[in-house]
Amino acid sequence: MSELRRPTSSPAVETQLVYAHGLAALITLLISVGFGVLASIELLVPDLAAGHGAWQGAWLSWGRLRYDHTQGIMLGWLGNAFFAFLYHAVPLLTGRSVTSARLGQWIFGLWNFAVVAPGWVLVLAGFSQPLEWAEFPLVIDAFVVLALVLAIVQFLPPFFSRGLEDLYVSSWYVIGALVFTLLAYPMGNVVPELVPGARGAAFSGLWIHDAIGLYVTPLAVAILYFVIPAATRRPIFSHFLSMLGFWLLFFLYPLNGTHHYIFSVIPMSAQIGAITASTLLGVDVVIVVANLLLSLRGAGWFPRDVALRFVSTGAVFYLIVSIQGSVQAQMSVNQSVHFSDWVIGHSHLAMLGFASFSAAGGLIHAWQRIPWARYNPRMLNWSYWFLFAGVIIMVTDLTIAGLVEAHVWQTAQPWLESVRAARPYWLIRTLSVVPIGAGFILLLIGITTGDRGGGLGAVKASIGLEPIEEIAPVFSEPL
Amino acid sequence: MKRLLRMSYLVAGVAGLGFFAMSVLLLAVWPGRVLEQQIRGTSPDHPLRLTASEERGRTVYGRAIHAYCHTQQIRYLPNDVARFGAATLAWETIFDYPQLWGTRRIGPDLSREGAVRSADWQLSHLYAPRALVADSVMPPFPWLFDGAPDRPRQEGQDLLAYLETLGRNRALAGPEGETRARATCNCSDEEKQFAFGPVLNASPAMARRQGDYSKLSESGDLNRGRELYSHNCAGCHGTRGEGDGPGAAGLRPRPENLSDHDYTLDRLSFSLWNGSAGTAMPAWRDLPVQDLSALAQVVRGFHAAQPEPTLPQDVLDLGSRVYAAHCAQCHGENGAGDGSAAGQFPIAPTNFRMQRPSLAASLRAVRNGVEGTPMAPWTSQLSEAELSAAAYYVRGFFQGGNQ
Repeated sequence: MSELRRPTSSPAVETQLVYAHGLAALITLLISVGFGVLASIELLVPDLAAGHGAWQGAWLSWGRLRYDHTQGIMLGWLGNAFFAFLYHAVPLLTGRSVTSARLGQWIFGLWNFAVVAPGWVLVLAGFSQPLEWAEFPLVIDAFVVLALVLAIVQFLPPFFSRGLEDLYVSSWYVIGALVFTLLAYPMGNVVPELVPGARGAAFSGLWIHDAIGLYVTPLAVAILYFVIPAATRRPIFSHFLSMLGFWLLFFLYPLNGTHHYIFSVIPMSAQIGAITASTLLGVDVVIVVANLLLSLRGAGWFPRDVALRFVSTGAVFYLIVSIQGSVQAQMSVNQSVHFSDWVIGHSHLAMLGFASFSAAGGLIHAWQRIPWARYNPRMLNWSYWFLFAGVIIMVTDLTIAGLVEAHVWQTAQPWLESVRAARPYWLIRTLSVVPIGAGFILLLIGITTGDRGGGLGAVKASIGLEPIEEIAPVFSEPL
Repeated sequence: MKRLLRMSYLVAGVAGLGFFAMSVLLLAVWPGRVLEQQIRGTSPDHPLRLTASEERGRTVYGRAIHAYCHTQQIRYLPNDVARFGAATLAWETIFDYPQLWGTRRIGPDLSREGAVRSADWQLSHLYAPRALVADSVMPPFPWLFDGAPDRPRQEGQDLLAYLETLGRNRALAGPEGETRARATCNCSDEEKQFAFGPVLNASPAMARRQGDYSKLSESGDLNRGRELYSHNCAGCHGTRGEGDGPGAAGLRPRPENLSDHDYTLDRLSFSLWNGSAGTAMPAWRDLPVQDLSALAQVVRGFHAAQPEPTLPQDVLDLGSRVYAAHCAQCHGENGAGDGSAAGQFPIAPTNFRMQRPSLAASLRAVRNGVEGTPMAPWTSQLSEAELSAAAYYVRGFFQGGNQ
């Protein structure tokens, strides 16, 4: 084995870019939540968008709001939050700066002003693509791909110039996410426009899962693996389990796609393969999360450091949502809950529970370490509790709603009975925005008010401050 | 040693890319080839492509509106097949760029929506869904219209045209197509059972010209009936059954004025089970018989019985002559709606033995015709005396009570 590589000096973190992406993340998040709330209200008051003018109300139609909601969460909120985390973490993981701050400004501009903002506007104006997690129109996809290429140029060279020996597991996840997202994105967004019907659906199924499995999950897990040792200042429980989890994840995740189309005309052997992979994936996530939670020992069940608390809760949500995923991919479960609100509950547990908690934790962790950024620990603490309550309410509610709908569908009752039965649950779902919205607003307040440099003080108060360069060795231990 | 390590990471990187490539090969490319083969074997020789208008309608459907509330994929499952019809075959989607399978069903699956509802119903429903379907959560799409459900703009017409293509190719393939697909489809017996079930389109709302109906009972839970009526019927037929519900405006023919007619139970049962082909009246055969009986109670309650005038014999004779000369071809010699020409019309002629219009309604029909049906006005061909006599006469066919 080669000798440990410890960075000798503290590498430059582009704090301006962390800050810019962090703010953009929260602003796009609040807008995306707004789209989601409007869409959920329209299920209760469907005539909300009933304008009678030439186009009046068309932009408010349910479909468009939902398209903007999911794309905004995936690209606006999580995309920006991941970028903020990468600007903080890549220099610490590699001991080298990212390629260029100027390039960073370009990526920031592209991502927010050539992808998210125009994407939203085009969808509202009626230009979209009816493919899940790929709703922005094709012209936007070109800019996404460009931005992803630039992100690779920005973040991967530090890893390669450092050398790939003894890379900490977060680095692997980052490399994997950036490379595979670039590969998977065009497959989900462009191929179904060229390959019709059932054959195209096979590609769509892959992308629906790859969007989560190769973009959101690896970056969120990279955050978990980064923040937990950095905030507790203990190395990860087992580097072997880290790597086992990583390789299993990248082997199994892409093979899950077809589980979105069980009992379809897609060949049964492909469906069964995907179901098997989904089952094994649950096992893999048990390994990953066990490793993460075991690394938390000593930090307490409810760590005082709010970033660490967000992250460890995210890890628990990851475990729950993955086991749920394995269960609902089984034919006996899938045949009744598929198409119902159960799945919407599942996706919110994944995106709002696992991914958003991890991203928020990563963002706060990076924020604490920007010496000039404002930081308001009380607000962030409240943010955590509101979000936690909101997720629990919403996911429980939608899961029950899904079971109720599935039950009605099994009977001979008219279709509309399932809609009537779901109504009260939809009301609760809409109300769950109160804690969720409050939580996210408090998160924004938490990082824009308070003392400048207050984050460092808060860290000191909770576990004692580590100088930034001292974190790096935690990531540099051999396998 | 260091070189070797470096190599091992290169190998790992290649392996990683290999995982991704493998997933695409196993779950997309290979299934694609299997599907392609299946499509070649099972597809009819010349499936209809979408016209320019239908294609535009598909864009409207996908971009703004339906894609996340409705699926277009009937799964190989008993419940799906029972509710929506034969499971979707691969070739049915070959013109879908991109696919619209969907992963959420807030509303029902639309794979075979084409033949289910009448065009006027579809337009009225798009214009103001809750006018027709109380408690629906579908958003309205008034911007597809010029201020009224019967005045769709181009986009509205396109969307309607597209909706009418859903399931069309499979229906056009006919029994020959089904037989051929069944023989060549490389699928298990279980899959065949779902893909080639006895009913291609199982939508319970689909109107049938002829069909079974069950005997309803004279008594029914009136409260349950009122609830069902207000949920399912009042939108078109109005709260008092006068055919003036909020959904009525865009429908041709207009919803029937239930308070204007005496019905036998069998007549109501027939309509509830089969809908009225050629009109917006859907079938309700998925409701249990007790519910249908309860509904029938409510519907019959709308009509206030009035003392029947006794007519002089010469009026009856005149009526009988006029009827035989002008009405019997469609309505049948005995008023059973089974005249020699009846089968040629999309909408069945009224069966007077099972349904008796009030005198006013009867006179209105012979004088003005019934808009949206083959019933024409007769004022240019018959004198006022003849019109009245015929209007009186048809009321005599009624076989009140349950037959």
